[in-house]
Amino acid sequence: MAKAPALTRIELLQGTLDLIVLQSLRWGPQHGYGLVQLIRATSRGVLDVDAGSLYPALHRLERQRAVKAAWELSENRQRVRVYRLTPAGRKRLAVERSRWEQMAQAMSELFSPPSAPEKA
Amino acid sequence: MSLLGRLFNTRAHRDADLQAELAGHLEMDMRARVARGESPADARHHAQQDFGSTVTVREVTTDMWSGEHMHQIIQDFRHAVRSLARVPGFTAIAILTLALGIGANTAIFSVINGVILRPLPYPKPEQLVYINSQFPTLGFSQFWMDPVEFLEFRERNQSFQHVGAYTTGAVNVGTDASPQRVTSALVSAGFIETFGVAPVQGRAFTADETVPNSPLVGILSYELWQTAFGGHPVVGTQVQIDGVPRTIVGVMPRGFDVHDQGVKIWLPLRLDPAQTAQYRGSHYLYLIGRLKDGATLQRARSELETLLANWPAADGVVTGAVPGAPGFIHTPNNKLHRVQYAGLQADMVGSIGKALWILQAAVVVVLLIACANLANLLLMRAETRQKELALRAALGAGRGRLVRLFMSESLVLSVSGAVTGAALALVGLRTLVAAGSSSIPRADTITMDGTVFAFTMLLGVLCGLVFGLAPLLHLSTNSLGMLLREAGSRTTGIAARNKLRRALVVTEMALAVTLVIGAGLLLRSFWNLMNVDAGFDRGHLSTFSVALPTRVYTDSVKRVAFFDHLIGDISAVPGVQAAAVMSGLPPRRQVNANDTQFEGFTPKPNGVGPQANVDYYQYASPNYFSTMKIPIVQGRSFGPSDGPLSPPVLLINETTASIYYPNQSPIGRRIKPGGDTVWFTIVGVAKDVKQGGVDSKTGTELYIDFEQSPHAEGFGLANMNVVIRSTLDKATLAPALRKIVGGLDPTLPIVQYRGMDDVFAEAIARPRFLTNLLGVFATVALLLSAIGTYGVLAYTVTERRREIGIRMALGASTHGVLMMVLRQGLTLAVVGLAIGLGAAAALTRVASTLLFGVKPTDPLTFAAVGVFMLLVAAAASIIPARRATRVDPLVALRAD
Repeated sequence: MAKAPALTRIELLQGTLDLIVLQSLRWGPQHGYGLVQLIRATSRGVLDVDAGSLYPALHRLERQRAVKAAWELSENRQRVRVYRLTPAGRKRLAVERSRWEQMAQAMSELFSPPSAPEKA
Repeated sequence: MSLLGRLFNTRAHRDADLQAELAGHLEMDMRARVARGESPADARHHAQQDFGSTVTVREVTTDMWSGEHMHQIIQDFRHAVRSLARVPGFTAIAILTLALGIGANTAIFSVINGVILRPLPYPKPEQLVYINSQFPTLGFSQFWMDPVEFLEFRERNQSFQHVGAYTTGAVNVGTDASPQRVTSALVSAGFIETFGVAPVQGRAFTADETVPNSPLVGILSYELWQTAFGGHPVVGTQVQIDGVPRTIVGVMPRGFDVHDQGVKIWLPLRLDPAQTAQYRGSHYLYLIGRLKDGATLQRARSELETLLANWPAADGVVTGAVPGAPGFIHTPNNKLHRVQYAGLQADMVGSIGKALWILQAAVVVVLLIACANLANLLLMRAETRQKELALRAALGAGRGRLVRLFMSESLVLSVSGAVTGAALALVGLRTLVAAGSSSIPRADTITMDGTVFAFTMLLGVLCGLVFGLAPLLHLSTNSLGMLLREAGSRTTGIAARNKLRRALVVTEMALAVTLVIGAGLLLRSFWNLMNVDAGFDRGHLSTFSVALPTRVYTDSVKRVAFFDHLIGDISAVPGVQAAAVMSGLPPRRQVNANDTQFEGFTPKPNGVGPQANVDYYQYASPNYFSTMKIPIVQGRSFGPSDGPLSPPVLLINETTASIYYPNQSPIGRRIKPGGDTVWFTIVGVAKDVKQGGVDSKTGTELYIDFEQSPHAEGFGLANMNVVIRSTLDKATLAPALRKIVGGLDPTLPIVQYRGMDDVFAEAIARPRFLTNLLGVFATVALLLSAIGTYGVLAYTVTERRREIGIRMALGASTHGVLMMVLRQGLTLAVVGLAIGLGAAAALTRVASTLLFGVKPTDPLTFAAVGVFMLLVAAAASIIPARRATRVDPLVALRAD
């Protein structure tokens, strides 16, 4: 109920989740729960990533060798699985990011003949 | 195997890792919530709620581990197995339902495969033809051939490379001290060669062993050789057969038989080609022909027409001679006495073929109902998994992936069902063959072989596809977007889904109704068969047969003397009320169709109407009627005055009286039984007694006092049936009977000692078998469809709990709610019933040949089944309806 509308979340999930995860890991190694908090915080609550989507994404990225995982101890001495970017991950982030920017650019140009936004 | 093992091993490791990782996530969230001031319990609850299903997350994540396509399929199946293992109740019901359906199909298909599909165990079996004759005007559509016809046919036909003839009997094999009675066959020269099978030891009969006065020889079946001779060398040795030593010249291969007769010993049929006149008209031979290479049955049939047209002329019967003149009917021709061909296998399968296909259709119906039930189950399951599906779809699992997910689940179910079904079928088949061995031809060839197994697996996969399709239909009616909505928004699409579910239940009902009606009709037929008035009182009646060796009992005087003694001794046993002897055992025996002259009666020359021929001759001891309690409807029974030297008399049955003496008294009229004999005077008319089976029309019959049989021609009195009316138990009586027979002649075995009730049971063994089977299948169908109705209603009630809660909160009465659900269930039932009754009315006529004394559209059966099905539907609806009335409005409203 407090979540963002479903449609928003799907759009995020399909295609962009990988980008969001990679970008968030640029700030440093992070565990899954930390990533959820981080993404929520940095997007000012707009992006609410489901655990059910995040972990599959993390494991997919791991298999594609874009991230690397290791078990570490957290500050309150809990065993956590920490993910960090690999060089391949950095490269991929750069590629996807420029692709995203092109896309965003194109979208904003598409909407640029000013027409009032329909939704808040 | 090792690869798979490794795969699972590392996976297990990684899975544990993943579990720890997810648990860590939850714990961190919980701590953060506690830090924000939530109570630990609330924190745990909310963290879990936020996270969603751990299991699903785990599964979706593990999906990411393996290669995109490589292990996808294995993985799908592993998923399917795991997710099914989480719902053991559902899985068990699904597998069991399927196993029932598939098992029944496998069992019946095994029978069809063994009986109809598998070729006969001879080389080139398609060339083997059963040759027999017809007497259209006498009403015999399949009759034996006489020896002259055999010899002439073998000589004159162009289509066959071999023609052999045989007739069956029974002989005593072994020493006088311990004779064993076995089925024998007298076979002509060339008979064994016709089958293209050579003896495993020794040789077949030579041509000079099949003429009169040739050396006495015999060939053993493999089975008799093993059981009676322990497999020791026998070829060349002498064996006592009916008290006469014969040289064994060969042993046939294991399983060699003809027409399922169970022949244990083969003896030469000795025919003298010069004696044709004497043989004419004595039809007792079965003919088997082997078509020439390249010849077809069809071409043989067209050649046969020419052969038949020329046959009378070839025999010197003047062409244009009056048909119906004595003798004419005994020469094959294309009108009164036709010769006809049937493929040997087709003949052996005979009418049971149709019955088996009907049974197969019935079990397919059972399977369809099982599939419909499963489709419903899976549909409901799919609905409870909305959230999981949404997640999978969100993660980019395309339609294809979701389809595979459902398909692999239904395939896992159906293949497990097929395997369980095969096991069930194995057990069922054993029972089935044991119960039906006397009513199914080729029963010994019925096994589950590769073909059957392939059939079962194919069936399993097909089922999987069929019922796996239901949730998919549902998927396609819902866009992925809809799937992705929160589970709360359940109102959309419900109508469509419910429609599908109801359609499935209606279909199930309709199918079940059709089957139950079929079973009901068979049951009524069977009831009618059981209650046929066979013409005599079969209570407290038992019977056995005696075969007198003709070598010792050379004439009928000696035979009558033996049987007189036998009757006297048996009647003297305390507890025995009466005993009699007769040549043919009702209610089912072989037809005689003997030429018979009725004084003052001439058959119509064109062969239409009654002929001078009687279906059954009964040679009986004078007290036969009183022992069997057959009422004499006119005149008198045999009496003390009818001795061997007094004027010959006979009795006829009612049918004979009505055909030959319509509207007049037959008493005092005269008959010449069996061609040219002295005149016998009719002294009485006996009530009709069934002779050709309880389900057939009573034929014509005449009774001759066996003391007077020397006056009638050619009938032996060697093989007779003894009937005993006694209040004593059958088993109690047995030792006394054995002692009496042994006392009269120690070489005589007592054969087929049984109660008359057993004789009747045997006579209707096949209908009983079919009725039982169809009854079982109909019951299963009924149960499954009841479960289906119950399931759908129960689900609907759960789904509508909120609505029911509101209704009750607004003041709906318990009774009102109960009726609402009941009405829903009964509406489905009525629609299904209407369709089923319609289908049954159209379909049951296919089975009309299996029915007796009941029309395929018997209104009573239809009405009874209708009412019964409604009761079943009401019973299936009452539980969910009662549950609906117990919905607590408060709880229902709070849920969701």
